[in-house]
Amino acid sequence: MEKQSLTNPISGDEVPKVDNAVAVGEDLEFQERWWKLERLIWSLFALILIADVLGFFGRGWFAKARLLEPDSGIAVNYERVERASTPSIMTIRFLPESIVNGSAQLFVSNSIVKQLGAQRIAPQPERSIIGDGGITYSFAASGSDADVQIALEPSFPGYREFSLQVPGKKSVGAHVVVVP
Amino acid sequence: MALATVLRALFGYFFLVFIVRVVGRRPGKQLTPFEFVLIFFLGGLTLTGVVGNEVSLSNAVCQIITIACGHYFLVWLRAKSSRTARLLDGTPLILLEGGAWRSRTMKRERIAPEDVMATARDQGLRTPADIDTAILERNGEISLIPKKEE
Repeated sequence: MEKQSLTNPISGDEVPKVDNAVAVGEDLEFQERWWKLERLIWSLFALILIADVLGFFGRGWFAKARLLEPDSGIAVNYERVERASTPSIMTIRFLPESIVNGSAQLFVSNSIVKQLGAQRIAPQPERSIIGDGGITYSFAASGSDADVQIALEPSFPGYREFSLQVPGKKSVGAHVVVVP
Repeated sequence: MALATVLRALFGYFFLVFIVRVVGRRPGKQLTPFEFVLIFFLGGLTLTGVVGNEVSLSNAVCQIITIACGHYFLVWLRAKSSRTARLLDGTPLILLEGGAWRSRTMKRERIAPEDVMATARDQGLRTPADIDTAILERNGEISLIPKKEE
């Protein structure tokens, strides 16, 4: 039976014909619907590009954020939207009241190291103490404009949160969306 | 993560199929330098995102197999369902019939009369009057049915 069906020639009757010739098969009704959909898709592409330029997918105006809470002793510039496997910089500025005896301390939550993929910290801290769900760094500091930069490169997309604290001061934290 | 690389490869393949479908059919034999740039650029950019920083041979092998499976699935689906086939490839479109250009179709498909005439010259036809029907096929080729000589 199987063999017979394999050797059966195709009759060609199934193919639509016009005046005994094979029909072109044009379907303008479908095509009109497709063209309409195409216009929608192009509009969507335009919206995606605008959103991208504005930074809704990271690395733009919208993505930049700043944390400055009273009594925290630090001001943090970071990106609220990060891109996976793409480097970015988080800058932490120590306010004068958080520098004591020529030293500034900063507690960094583990999520900054693991989920947000901290690659390096500049300047190199004098001391690092692990524990309490993070790392406490000590830096030699004097005067004002004391900045610490953490280079981030998250590996995977997701919704992450982090916290930073100068020991003895108020903790600050925020959420970061990592897009693929 | 291995699963992520497989998913990236699948997404890259289906996204590229989608983009090429939306960008439109261009007559296959008449790819201009612009279309070559488009093809190479799309391929290169997709590759960057799909491969990422995983440059191992095992990753390459797994991603190639993933794309092969994705392609097999699409082809199977296209053969099984005429709706899918229509969605993936569109339908043939008449560009010129009985001496009259289908201007709306030409405009929507971004095809100029010169593209049709280039194919016509390839077949030894000199003027639109020599053509009975010009059809933009699903694969982007333009096929011509010459006018029967009286």
